[in-house]
Amino acid sequence: MNFAIYYPWLKALHVASALIFFGGVVSVGVFLHMVTNDSPGIRALAADIRRWDHIITTPSMLLVWALGLGIGGAGHWFNAPWLTVKLVFVVILSAVHGMQSGRLRRICQGASIRPLHTSLPVAVTCAVIIAILAVAKPF
Amino acid sequence: MTRDDYRDIELAQLRRLEFASFVEGTTLLLLLIIAVPLKHLYGWPTGVRIMGPVHGLGFCAYLWFVIQTVAGGDWRTREIARVMICAFIPFGAFFNRALLSRKMASIRNGRKS
Repeated sequence: MNFAIYYPWLKALHVASALIFFGGVVSVGVFLHMVTNDSPGIRALAADIRRWDHIITTPSMLLVWALGLGIGGAGHWFNAPWLTVKLVFVVILSAVHGMQSGRLRRICQGASIRPLHTSLPVAVTCAVIIAILAVAKPF
Repeated sequence: MTRDDYRDIELAQLRRLEFASFVEGTTLLLLLIIAVPLKHLYGWPTGVRIMGPVHGLGFCAYLWFVIQTVAGGDWRTREIARVMICAFIPFGAFFNRALLSRKMASIRNGRKS
Protein backbone atom coordinates (compact mmCIF):
# COMPACT_ATOMS: atom_id res chain seq x y z
CA MET A 1 0.00 0.00 0.00
CA ASN A 2 1.40 3.41 -0.98
CA PHE A 3 0.91 5.72 1.97
CA ALA A 4 2.31 8.69 0.04
CA ILE A 5 -1.04 9.05 -1.75
CA TYR A 6 -2.97 9.27 1.53
CA TYR A 7 -0.38 11.30 3.46
CA PRO A 8 -1.83 14.79 2.69
CA TRP A 9 -5.33 13.53 3.52
CA LEU A 10 -4.21 12.02 6.83
CA LYS A 11 -2.44 15.27 7.64
CA ALA A 12 -5.50 17.36 6.72
CA LEU A 13 -7.77 15.18 8.88
CA HIS A 14 -5.23 15.33 11.73
CA VAL A 15 -5.21 19.15 11.63
CA ALA A 16 -9.04 19.30 11.39
CA SER A 17 -9.41 16.95 14.38
CA ALA A 18 -6.81 18.94 16.33
CA LEU A 19 -8.72 22.18 15.69
CA ILE A 20 -12.00 20.64 16.89
CA PHE A 21 -10.25 19.11 19.93
CA PHE A 22 -8.53 22.37 20.88
CA GLY A 23 -11.78 24.30 20.37
CA GLY A 24 -13.43 21.97 22.88
CA VAL A 25 -10.55 22.34 25.38
CA VAL A 26 -10.72 26.15 25.12
CA SER A 27 -14.51 26.26 25.56
CA VAL A 28 -14.40 24.05 28.67
CA GLY A 29 -11.40 26.06 29.90
CA VAL A 30 -13.26 29.35 29.49
CA PHE A 31 -16.32 27.93 31.27
CA LEU A 32 -14.27 26.61 34.20
CA HIS A 33 -12.29 29.88 34.36
CA MET A 34 -15.34 32.17 34.34
CA VAL A 35 -17.82 30.22 36.44
CA THR A 36 -17.96 31.51 40.01
CA ASN A 37 -21.57 31.41 41.17
CA ASP A 38 -23.87 28.42 41.46
CA SER A 39 -27.27 28.45 39.75
CA PRO A 40 -29.52 25.95 37.95
CA GLY A 41 -28.60 27.68 34.66
CA ILE A 42 -24.88 27.11 35.27
CA ARG A 43 -25.53 23.43 36.14
CA ALA A 44 -27.57 22.99 32.94
CA LEU A 45 -24.82 24.68 30.90
CA ALA A 46 -22.22 22.39 32.51
CA ALA A 47 -24.31 19.34 31.51
CA ASP A 48 -24.55 20.62 27.90
CA ILE A 49 -20.82 21.33 27.72
CA ARG A 50 -20.12 17.87 29.16
CA ARG A 51 -22.33 16.30 26.48
CA TRP A 52 -20.38 18.17 23.76
CA ASP A 53 -17.14 17.07 25.40
CA HIS A 54 -18.28 13.42 25.28
CA ILE A 55 -19.67 13.42 21.76
CA ILE A 56 -17.24 15.73 19.93
CA THR A 57 -14.12 16.74 21.88
CA THR A 58 -13.03 13.36 23.28
CA PRO A 59 -13.52 11.44 19.99
CA SER A 60 -11.62 14.26 18.21
CA MET A 61 -8.76 13.83 20.66
CA LEU A 62 -8.66 10.07 20.03
CA LEU A 63 -8.73 10.75 16.28
CA VAL A 64 -5.85 13.25 16.64
CA TRP A 65 -3.78 10.58 18.38
CA ALA A 66 -4.70 7.83 15.89
CA LEU A 67 -4.00 9.99 12.84
CA GLY A 68 -0.84 11.37 14.46
CA LEU A 69 0.45 7.83 14.98
CA GLY A 70 -0.42 7.01 11.35
CA ILE A 71 1.31 10.13 9.99
CA GLY A 72 4.37 9.61 12.22
CA GLY A 73 4.68 6.03 11.01
CA ALA A 74 3.96 6.73 7.34
CA GLY A 75 6.29 9.74 7.22
CA HIS A 76 9.05 8.11 9.35
CA TRP A 77 8.96 11.09 11.71
CA PHE A 78 9.37 9.23 15.00
CA ASN A 79 13.15 9.73 15.09
CA ALA A 80 12.83 13.52 14.68
CA PRO A 81 13.61 15.42 17.94
CA TRP A 82 10.93 18.05 17.28
CA LEU A 83 8.26 15.31 17.28
CA THR A 84 9.45 13.94 20.64
CA VAL A 85 9.17 17.42 22.16
CA LYS A 86 5.81 17.93 20.46
CA LEU A 87 4.51 14.66 21.91
CA VAL A 88 5.37 15.89 25.43
CA PHE A 89 3.15 18.94 24.91
CA VAL A 90 0.41 16.81 23.30
CA VAL A 91 0.42 14.62 26.43
CA ILE A 92 0.23 17.72 28.66
CA LEU A 93 -2.65 19.13 26.58
CA SER A 94 -4.49 15.79 26.72
CA ALA A 95 -3.93 15.61 30.49
CA VAL A 96 -5.35 19.14 30.86
CA HIS A 97 -8.41 18.00 28.93
CA GLY A 98 -8.72 14.95 31.17
CA MET A 99 -8.65 17.17 34.27
CA GLN A 100 -11.18 19.59 32.78
CA SER A 101 -13.41 16.67 31.90
CA GLY A 102 -13.15 15.30 35.45
CA ARG A 103 -14.00 18.71 36.93
CA LEU A 104 -17.03 19.01 34.61
CA ARG A 105 -18.19 15.57 35.77
CA ARG A 106 -17.93 16.68 39.40
CA ILE A 107 -20.01 19.76 38.67
CA CYS A 108 -22.63 17.61 36.91
CA GLN A 109 -22.67 15.32 39.98
CA GLY A 110 -23.54 18.30 42.16
CA ALA A 111 -20.13 19.22 43.61
CA SER A 112 -19.58 22.83 44.69
CA ILE A 113 -18.54 25.13 41.86
CA ARG A 114 -14.96 26.39 42.07
CA PRO A 115 -13.25 28.16 39.16
CA LEU A 116 -10.25 26.45 37.54
CA HIS A 117 -7.81 29.13 36.39
CA THR A 118 -4.79 27.08 35.37
CA SER A 119 -6.17 24.94 32.54
CA LEU A 120 -6.71 27.72 29.98
CA PRO A 121 -3.18 29.28 29.99
CA VAL A 122 -1.56 25.82 30.04
CA ALA A 123 -3.71 24.64 27.10
CA VAL A 124 -3.05 27.78 25.03
CA THR A 125 0.72 27.61 25.71
CA CYS A 126 0.77 23.94 24.68
CA ALA A 127 -1.17 24.70 21.48
CA VAL A 128 1.23 27.51 20.49
CA ILE A 129 4.30 25.31 21.06
CA ILE A 130 2.71 22.35 19.22
CA ALA A 131 1.83 24.56 16.21
CA ILE A 132 5.36 26.04 16.05
CA LEU A 133 7.02 22.61 16.31
CA ALA A 134 4.71 21.00 13.74
CA VAL A 135 5.03 23.76 11.15
CA ALA A 136 8.62 25.03 11.60
CA LYS A 137 10.19 21.68 12.66
CA PRO A 138 13.10 23.67 14.16
CA PHE A 139 15.29 20.70 15.15
CA MET B 1 -29.08 16.32 40.69
CA THR B 2 -30.12 13.32 42.78
CA ARG B 3 -27.88 10.77 44.48
CA ASP B 4 -28.93 8.23 41.83
CA ASP B 5 -27.76 10.58 39.04
CA TYR B 6 -24.44 11.00 40.84
CA ARG B 7 -24.00 7.23 41.11
CA ASP B 8 -25.02 6.62 37.50
CA ILE B 9 -22.44 9.13 36.26
CA GLU B 10 -19.70 7.66 38.49
CA LEU B 11 -20.56 4.06 37.55
CA ALA B 12 -20.53 4.94 33.83
CA GLN B 13 -17.12 6.57 34.26
CA LEU B 14 -15.70 3.50 36.05
CA ARG B 15 -17.12 1.24 33.33
CA ARG B 16 -15.35 3.36 30.68
CA LEU B 17 -12.08 3.06 32.61
CA GLU B 18 -12.59 -0.68 32.94
CA PHE B 19 -13.12 -0.95 29.17
CA ALA B 20 -10.04 1.20 28.42
CA SER B 21 -8.03 -0.97 30.82
CA PHE B 22 -9.26 -4.14 29.07
CA VAL B 23 -8.37 -2.74 25.61
CA GLU B 24 -4.90 -1.67 26.80
CA GLY B 25 -4.17 -5.08 28.32
CA THR B 26 -5.59 -7.04 25.38
CA THR B 27 -3.73 -5.09 22.68
CA LEU B 28 -0.46 -5.57 24.61
CA LEU B 29 -1.21 -9.29 24.89
CA LEU B 30 -1.87 -9.54 21.12
CA LEU B 31 1.31 -7.58 20.41
CA LEU B 32 3.59 -9.62 22.67
CA ILE B 33 2.11 -13.09 22.26
CA ILE B 34 1.10 -13.09 18.60
CA ALA B 35 2.61 -10.22 16.59
CA VAL B 36 6.17 -10.21 18.02
CA PRO B 37 6.73 -14.02 17.70
CA LEU B 38 5.30 -13.91 14.16
CA LYS B 39 7.84 -11.23 13.28
CA HIS B 40 10.90 -12.84 14.85
CA LEU B 41 10.14 -16.54 14.22
CA TYR B 42 8.38 -16.38 10.84
CA GLY B 43 9.61 -13.04 9.44
CA TRP B 44 6.10 -11.56 9.20
CA PRO B 45 6.39 -7.93 10.40
CA THR B 46 2.90 -6.75 9.37
CA GLY B 47 1.37 -7.81 12.71
CA VAL B 48 3.80 -5.64 14.69
CA ARG B 49 3.33 -2.76 12.22
CA ILE B 50 -0.42 -2.89 12.88
CA MET B 51 -0.53 -3.85 16.56
CA GLY B 52 2.25 -1.45 17.63
CA PRO B 53 0.32 1.76 16.88
CA VAL B 54 -3.00 0.16 17.98
CA HIS B 55 -1.49 -0.65 21.39
CA GLY B 56 0.11 2.83 21.52
CA LEU B 57 -3.32 4.35 21.01
CA GLY B 58 -4.87 2.01 23.61
CA PHE B 59 -2.14 2.92 26.11
CA CYS B 60 -2.63 6.68 25.61
CA ALA B 61 -6.43 6.30 25.83
CA TYR B 62 -6.12 4.30 29.07
CA LEU B 63 -3.88 6.92 30.68
CA TRP B 64 -6.29 9.65 29.58
CA PHE B 65 -9.27 7.81 31.10
CA VAL B 66 -7.30 7.37 34.34
CA ILE B 67 -6.68 11.13 34.50
CA GLN B 68 -10.32 11.89 33.69
CA THR B 69 -11.58 9.41 36.30
CA VAL B 70 -9.32 10.43 39.19
CA ALA B 71 -9.72 14.16 38.44
CA GLY B 72 -13.42 13.95 39.16
CA GLY B 73 -13.61 11.23 41.80
CA ASP B 74 -12.68 10.58 45.41
CA TRP B 75 -9.56 8.50 44.86
CA ARG B 76 -6.80 7.87 47.38
CA THR B 77 -3.21 8.64 46.34
CA ARG B 78 -2.36 4.93 46.65
CA GLU B 79 -5.19 3.96 44.28
CA ILE B 80 -4.14 6.62 41.74
CA ALA B 81 -0.53 5.39 41.89
CA ARG B 82 -1.72 1.81 41.43
CA VAL B 83 -3.79 2.44 38.27
CA MET B 84 -1.02 4.63 36.83
CA ILE B 85 1.75 2.09 37.51
CA CYS B 86 -0.43 -0.70 36.07
CA ALA B 87 -0.24 1.06 32.68
CA PHE B 88 3.53 0.67 32.58
CA ILE B 89 3.67 -2.99 33.67
CA PRO B 90 2.96 -5.67 31.03
CA PHE B 91 -0.57 -7.01 31.63
CA GLY B 92 -0.81 -4.64 34.61
CA ALA B 93 -4.11 -3.28 33.28
CA PHE B 94 -5.75 -6.63 34.11
CA PHE B 95 -4.86 -6.13 37.79
CA ASN B 96 -7.15 -3.09 37.85
CA ARG B 97 -10.22 -5.27 37.55
CA ALA B 98 -10.43 -6.07 41.27
CA LEU B 99 -9.98 -2.44 42.31
CA LEU B 100 -12.53 -1.14 39.80
CA SER B 101 -15.05 -3.89 40.70
CA ARG B 102 -14.67 -2.98 44.38
CA LYS B 103 -15.21 0.70 43.65
CA MET B 104 -18.29 -0.04 41.53
CA ALA B 105 -19.69 -2.34 44.23
CA SER B 106 -19.27 0.32 46.90
CA ILE B 107 -21.11 2.85 44.71
CA ARG B 108 -23.92 0.34 44.03
CA ASN B 109 -24.20 -0.55 47.74
CA GLY B 110 -24.42 3.13 48.53
CA ARG B 111 -27.52 3.28 46.37
CA LYS B 112 -29.27 0.57 48.39
CA SER B 113 -28.58 2.18 51.77
